[in-house]
Amino acid sequence: MSIYQVQKALFDYLRAREHAPKGEQPDIATVVARGYELDDEERKAVESLDLGTLYAMGTHPVIINGLARNMGYRKADYRPLLAGSMPPERKVKPRWLKS
Amino acid sequence: MAEIVTAYCASHAPMQAVDPESAPKHQADSFFAGLEAVRKQFERAQPQAVVMLSGEHFTNYFLDALPQLGVGLAEKYNTPSARWLRMEHTVLPGAPDLGEHIVAELIKKNYWPALSYDMDPDHGFLTVYDQLDPAWQTPMIPMVLNCTTPPLITLRQSYEFGITMGEVLRSYEGLERVAFVGGGGLCHYVGEPRIGDIDEDFERWFLAELAKPDCGELLDLPNDELMEAGNGTGEVRAWVALAGAMRGHEMKLLSYEPIYEWIIGMAVVTWTP
Repeated sequence: MSIYQVQKALFDYLRAREHAPKGEQPDIATVVARGYELDDEERKAVESLDLGTLYAMGTHPVIINGLARNMGYRKADYRPLLAGSMPPERKVKPRWLKS
Repeated sequence: MAEIVTAYCASHAPMQAVDPESAPKHQADSFFAGLEAVRKQFERAQPQAVVMLSGEHFTNYFLDALPQLGVGLAEKYNTPSARWLRMEHTVLPGAPDLGEHIVAELIKKNYWPALSYDMDPDHGFLTVYDQLDPAWQTPMIPMVLNCTTPPLITLRQSYEFGITMGEVLRSYEGLERVAFVGGGGLCHYVGEPRIGDIDEDFERWFLAELAKPDCGELLDLPNDELMEAGNGTGEVRAWVALAGAMRGHEMKLLSYEPIYEWIIGMAVVTWTP
């Protein structure tokens, strides 16, 4: 339906967990139940916190970063997690490259 | 009229506060020595307020209403971010009179910032501010820039904005001495497969160009080319803005260390007041 609704659900989830007392942090299903306009594929990716699919859908990397940190992933985990979404080859050769 | 008596930029990484020992000692020592040199200069100059520019990390604004620029106008800032950063203090003094002056003068000069009376200065501000004033006594005006969500301002626009900010700060009659500080960058990747990569070629080139009159080639760098250095690297807009505010003053590089353990290139530069 809308990548914005995906991102809003994820952002609200991160905020809710950040503000809740320890041990009372809501799970993703509780947050999604508040009502977001998600199609089946989006709902599945959001409810399973499938970072690879969410990233491929175009979820903002700042949100991906927040989720990954919240889930306890470390920097070495990103590449395999997002393996299906490696960035394309450079479109332009940056001027600072020497060769 | 106020003078800008301290002007510098520093990278900000959560790890510098949460786990500084994770970096190779010689690199961390070099970076913190750069910050210490700035702090000593700050103590000598005794600014009465610090105006700080940093990138937005969806701490204060989100996609429902994301300004290119937001200015904090609060009397004080309660900052939950300070807790996970393990900082001693959690309440930061504001300077609303100077903040209102900044907003009013920017509007006169055709910049239309968002206002916030309840901002949370996050790691982008606190890691830098805490090193500058560990007692958290100096009032701060936090200013957030959109650096990650296109469409984005260009580096040329950042520089022109910085020139205007310099004029705005120097036209303030309520204080005599202010500090102007930029936080963010250098090269880093956020929430994507290349996290942990650092483009050292970019960083060395960026720092060399930044020191040149009118930032050398930097102002011609289009946003898509800048993005090639990392999707978090756009925070260098704050550095270019500082260069604009301090146009005609000499820039000095105090430290540059690509710290892979902190997933970011860490640097400190200052401009002679």
